Amino acid sequence: MKILPLLLYGVSAVAYAVHFARRDPAAGRAATASLLVAALAHTFVIGMQTMEVRHIPFASLPNVVSTFVWLLALSYLYLEITTEERAMGVFILPIAIGLQSISALTPGVEKVDPVLDSPWFWIHVASLLCAYASFALAGVLGLTYMLQFKEIKKKHLGYLYNRLPSLLTLDVMNSRAMTIGWVFLTVGVAVGVLWTAQARPLSPDDPNLRAMSLDDPKIFFAVLTWAVYSFALFARTRLGWTGRRAAWLSAVGFIIVLLNFLPIGYFVTTSHTFQ
Amino acid sequence: MHVFLLGVSHQTAPIDVREQLDFSSRDVGAAVETLAARYSAGEAVVLSTCNRSEIYVASDDLERARQELVDFLGSYHGLPREAFESHIFVHADEDATRHLFRVAAGLDSLVVGEPQILGQVKDAFQVAATRQCAGPVLTRLFHTSFGVGKRVRSETGLGEGAVSVGFAAVALARKIFGRLDGRGVLVVGAGEISTLTAQHLRAQGVGEIVITSRTAAHADALAADVGGRAVPWSELRGSLAAADIVITATGSQRPILTRADIETVTDRRRGEPLFIIDIAVPRDVEPSVGEIEQVFLYNVDDLQAVVQENLSRRSAEISRAESIVSEEVERFAAWRRSRGAVPTVVALRQRFEQIRRAELQRLEHKLGPLTPEARAGVDEVTRLIVEKLLLAPTAHLKALPDEETQLAYTEAVNRLFELRDESPVAPAADEVDAEQPNRTRS
Repeated sequence: MKILPLLLYGVSAVAYAVHFARRDPAAGRAATASLLVAALAHTFVIGMQTMEVRHIPFASLPNVVSTFVWLLALSYLYLEITTEERAMGVFILPIAIGLQSISALTPGVEKVDPVLDSPWFWIHVASLLCAYASFALAGVLGLTYMLQFKEIKKKHLGYLYNRLPSLLTLDVMNSRAMTIGWVFLTVGVAVGVLWTAQARPLSPDDPNLRAMSLDDPKIFFAVLTWAVYSFALFARTRLGWTGRRAAWLSAVGFIIVLLNFLPIGYFVTTSHTFQ
Repeated sequence: MHVFLLGVSHQTAPIDVREQLDFSSRDVGAAVETLAARYSAGEAVVLSTCNRSEIYVASDDLERARQELVDFLGSYHGLPREAFESHIFVHADEDATRHLFRVAAGLDSLVVGEPQILGQVKDAFQVAATRQCAGPVLTRLFHTSFGVGKRVRSETGLGEGAVSVGFAAVALARKIFGRLDGRGVLVVGAGEISTLTAQHLRAQGVGEIVITSRTAAHADALAADVGGRAVPWSELRGSLAAADIVITATGSQRPILTRADIETVTDRRRGEPLFIIDIAVPRDVEPSVGEIEQVFLYNVDDLQAVVQENLSRRSAEISRAESIVSEEVERFAAWRRSRGAVPTVVALRQRFEQIRRAELQRLEHKLGPLTPEARAGVDEVTRLIVEKLLLAPTAHLKALPDEETQLAYTEAVNRLFELRDESPVAPAADEVDAEQPNRTRS
């Protein structure tokens, strides 16, 4: 089931690459249309899964990754439609394809641990996924900013200069994506903490709940992520860290998010291994 | 019918000759009317810009057209033929078509790929069209040339990248700030390039343009030129604070803006970018200013390098543009050839129609008793049979690959159906042409 959206994202990636290389408006429209189709197919797949298991497929990591890819595609489409800038598609689609492949190759069993059966859990996961999708966009915008900055500052106006959006556009979009991501991250982490505190007395022997502390890499990295983005927002408003510095922070932040999401989420964590 | 072109351009004639043969400063419409009246085809378009004066006509006799156009040029401009004859070029048919398509695409321009020429070609055609001087051949030719210009611009990078220092600066500003609405501009010192750049920026909708110069009169003049506000030289540093784009062009021997000056400003800008264009030689801004984060400093050499790079990128696109031109020349040639078959096609149709009517007439006594509906039916059926019979021959005659084959076919058809002795067919040519609407790419 996850193969169909994966293939469609592949088609879309090719269209974005052709648009990027040739700057052909028709290829650009085809790219947007194909991504829209891919996102719709993905919506359908997630909808089917939701009907099947009677909840949004959040309870196994591969499904969570797939839902993240879906959110990323939707938020990128939103960005593209509001700014009419298509150049970032070539950077976003490889991320979507990579993550969707991981998700498609490691089928997860969607069984909800009774401990998790609480509205808090769904809010926790949904907020964090929205935060991660925003940070992924911010990271790509930051990367794009750095590439464009280098072209203009080094006075070498080449291939990328003609294709990438203006610096200020990238900076403004980056700032917006980080702010939105930070709000979701804050909500997600806060809900997680409150819910753990509430759940612990009810299931004192649950190994996951016992492991919920800063010693657990997943929680540690989540807090680190929050610290990095909080600093980035503070530095932008108070220290004038816009442009390249903000771009760097958003790229670093996204790398931490990705580390936490995949290798740590899959292999290292002791607190988030429900099932 | 041939397409014939005679003209001078920056490639064949020096400026003084082009000036003498210029139509644009006089009444182009009157010239076109005079020309069209002289030729049996009645088709003429005059394209006159500062780089070229070209006359396009449709004519049956190329040598006569050449003689008449040379005479016309001489008499219209009051010049002896010797004054310009060595500078003119003439092209016919495919060469003339290719020339116009290359002109419309910007391939024949002084600055390859410049966009104004397409508009000038359109205007030239419009002048002829409104005076009924552009017949079917030239209408088709010029409409196709507009399509070629559009195709080359959208399918190749021939018109891409700024090719003057002023435009290169504006393009850079747009890559830094995105939209330039409301951005503050400070011009320090007046000069040709700084004036041009300020004017380009004004056209992009920037906010206030503040101008300062050591000589207050220069600042005032430039302010009036670009719609800005002149301030005294003493306010230079104060004005820096409100500027997003700074253009410097003074004759000063020493830098007038130091790193310390700019750092004072950037500290207060909270990370907003600052774009400085230093056009002065020697430079007005300390080179180390370019090292400040969020400051983009370009001097005149940097901008020249950008222009050069854009120019070479444009030349790399020339071959792609030329192949589009060739494609369209071939297409137009096929259409023109198909027109060569028109008189034969018309004659053939008239012959068939004549036979049909004659036969109906002959059978009148048998058809007489039929009801009006049945008679109409007979008429309709016979008409349809004739239409069907003519469908394939008409298509083949119009699609013949070259003039030689066309001649052979026409001859054969003429003999087979004994067309020669029939009534003259030439006046009916336009009638058939009207059936085939002009295909325009717009």
